[in-house]
Amino acid sequence: MGFGDFLTLPEIKLRVVTCRNVFQNTAQETSRFGEDYERLSAVIMLDPKDITRLSIKDGETVALRNGHGKVVVKAQRSGQEDAHSGIAYMLNSPWSNALVPVPDTGKGVPKYKDFEVTVQGSKGEKVTGIKQLF
Amino acid sequence: MVFSVFRFGDYLSEYFVCTGCALLCDDIEVDVQENRINTVNAACRKGVARMKGCTDPLVCTVDGKEEGIDKAVQKAASILRDAKNPLIFGHGNSSSEAQKLSIDLAKMTGAYIDDTSSFCQGPLVEAILQEKLKTCTLDDVRHRADVIIFWGADPSNSHPRHLSRYSYYPRGKERQRGWEEDRTLISIDIRRSDTALLCKDERFYRIPISGDAEFMEALVSSLSGKVPKTSFDYEKKRILELSNVLRKAKFGVICAGLGLVYSLEQLDPLFKLMDKLNELSDFHLIPMVGQYNMRGFNHNLFEETGYINRLKFDPQNDEPLHGPEYSIVETLYNKKVDAALIIGSDPLSSLPYSIAQNLKDIPLITIDPCQTLTASRSTVTIPCALGGVEADGTAVRMDGAEVTLKKIIKTDRLTDHEILKMIMEAI
Repeated sequence: MGFGDFLTLPEIKLRVVTCRNVFQNTAQETSRFGEDYERLSAVIMLDPKDITRLSIKDGETVALRNGHGKVVVKAQRSGQEDAHSGIAYMLNSPWSNALVPVPDTGKGVPKYKDFEVTVQGSKGEKVTGIKQLF
Repeated sequence: MVFSVFRFGDYLSEYFVCTGCALLCDDIEVDVQENRINTVNAACRKGVARMKGCTDPLVCTVDGKEEGIDKAVQKAASILRDAKNPLIFGHGNSSSEAQKLSIDLAKMTGAYIDDTSSFCQGPLVEAILQEKLKTCTLDDVRHRADVIIFWGADPSNSHPRHLSRYSYYPRGKERQRGWEEDRTLISIDIRRSDTALLCKDERFYRIPISGDAEFMEALVSSLSGKVPKTSFDYEKKRILELSNVLRKAKFGVICAGLGLVYSLEQLDPLFKLMDKLNELSDFHLIPMVGQYNMRGFNHNLFEETGYINRLKFDPQNDEPLHGPEYSIVETLYNKKVDAALIIGSDPLSSLPYSIAQNLKDIPLITIDPCQTLTASRSTVTIPCALGGVEADGTAVRMDGAEVTLKKIIKTDRLTDHEILKMIMEAI
């Protein structure tokens, strides 16, 4: 065990926007309980600056939490995105829905595309399985 | 049995409809062997997966035990009969025939009835049906559109054949020179999506989260000859350039995605922009509907009641109750329902967990071709035939065009509307 293992990893607050991905949609058509669907869904796409701020490496797991829930997903460096430090992207899935708030405005529309989470590295922790979500 | 056969001088072909999304592509060829779909041609990868079927089909169960259809139907009927405030939800992946029966069942049981449009494209579909927004068909887009705006939409991922079949790449009757010279593709989005990449820097307009309404107002100013201003200091020159492209459009279309819908508190800025664009040019809007027959449900309910979603029927009163308080989100949030029939949808996957968990505490009935999260928590699960593959039917495309679905392979499973009919008879 190294000295670093005794240090708490930094946690940061990010705004999350959900989006779609054709590969994940395809995996969903085949099986919602399949490995592909979990592998492609349980992901948060981060700006390289935020990866640095979190002191994690691309592909490591991170814990996401807010007042609505907590999930462990893989952190992934954004691909073609422009710089978006402070904003993260998740694919629309049960993993993002574990964190999506429902405002008490009575309008009947959840905040799928703009919600806040606290992110912290959780190296070694397993990604939350779909059956653990419910 | 092989459906599509190529022969020199003798082209034999039969086309089928893909129900992978609301584009309802009707040029799909399949190779069927031993009553299984072996190959799917022309569909996108998502469509191929849909048509080949899931790997975990739903099993007919009652209380977690495998049962015959009759017992499952009897149990479903007793749940709905005993409930004081049942909810009937889903319909996005159901045939129009099933949707109409669902509406009848809701009337019979005094149920809340809603669909996914309630928390996605509903406001746009409603505005179109109420003739507050000018629209057109996808065929009009293919043949005539020269300026195509994807606003908060990324069809490269959500509707993979949108660009190739309708909006950008095809040569249309009035667009013979295709995308290279005849069409201008524009993306307005908060992120550089795969679709935005096609627009290059010149025609990609990155706006901040929830900046859509202000950007619309800035465009209206610019189209009115005023200096466009935004609180996020968007480069004025770029807005002026964009408004010049829009002004000169011969046939423009805004393909409105969820990014736009969720960003607007109300639709007024969009109405103003569309009005201004139509003073100067000819602009239309098509909602980028996701599930293959979500719009069909909106049409069917609108025809029956004048509303597209968010209803509660009262057996003592002919007039249904309507409003956001009757939406699935609010009824679950306020724990108003005591049983639910879920058809052609998976709310435990698609709704925020904080409210979806309330479904776990009530008797649930799921009708679906595949195992879903909702099914895994249901008291009764009844498998149905997959629309457009194992069952005939009709559906409504994202642009409002009605499409006929033809069965490709045989199945022992009943269609969604046959199951609903049995439940209604049992009640």
